[in-house]
Amino acid sequence: MGPLAEVILLVEDEPSDAHLLQRAFQKAQVPARIVRVADGDEAMAYLTGAAPWNRKEHPLPGIIMLDIKLPRRSGFEVLEWLRDQDVLRRIPVVMLSSSPLPHDVNRAYDLGANSYLTKPQNPGEFVQLACAFRDYWLCANVDPVV
Amino acid sequence: MTDKRSEPGIILLVEDEPTDARLLMRAFQRAGVQNPVRHLPRGDTALAYLRGLPPWDNRSEYPLPILMILDLKLPGMTGLELLCWLRQQRQLRRIPVLIFTSEKDESYMGPAYDAGANSYLLKPADSAEIERVVDLIKNYWLALNEAPLVVGPAT
Repeated sequence: MGPLAEVILLVEDEPSDAHLLQRAFQKAQVPARIVRVADGDEAMAYLTGAAPWNRKEHPLPGIIMLDIKLPRRSGFEVLEWLRDQDVLRRIPVVMLSSSPLPHDVNRAYDLGANSYLTKPQNPGEFVQLACAFRDYWLCANVDPVV
Repeated sequence: MTDKRSEPGIILLVEDEPTDARLLMRAFQRAGVQNPVRHLPRGDTALAYLRGLPPWDNRSEYPLPILMILDLKLPGMTGLELLCWLRQQRQLRRIPVLIFTSEKDESYMGPAYDAGANSYLLKPADSAEIERVVDLIKNYWLALNEAPLVVGPAT
């Protein structure tokens, strides 16, 4: 089984969704640190190690959870940018959205998303999602060396 | 969540080791996975299946997969070559591909992710572990993940 990621980067602008996800990860006893940023620009700043995110204290994430609807730069734009980067392009990205519109799902895969999840309806389902996410991405999947 | 259609999509397993293939197929059965698993032992044969070449030219009988489990070391065409080809096909490129291999080395893993692998799994050592991995595939890829729409070329 693969090594556990040290950091999960959560890109989510909705405070309530971010809170539910962070709570769910806590309940699922995910040992990784969840770093939450609220928009695409901040995600790019974190990933490039721009201030205030120095790499020593803020290591690259083992996986990214990326909301699609974000202020300014959308999740799609962040994904497209990421897959174009020399070193960062291999980081697995799981897209998150409120509704699985086929157009959005297809676009996400076309841009190189590893997986696409729909945000659950209630806290209990968020915990289920966090458990399945933990078991698959943090235990079974082998992350690339970035 | 994706609605469950009456006909569950097929899983394409491309694996040349007969023992690994048998253990995987049995694990899918034991896990109660409804999706039919089609096993092909060669890379070039899998390519022919995906292209819908004879004897697989009848798409209703040989449908496109909703998920692929792909070994890397394969006769005919490597898993990496097949993946690279797949990601360039306008109609097939979105099919999620899980690499399933014994190759731990970065020289295999990096290029697989670069070529567009959705996930990279190491072949477990024993059958109990294979059943565990299959359970995870079922719970994640078949239950939670939103699958892309894959429309094949008209045949």
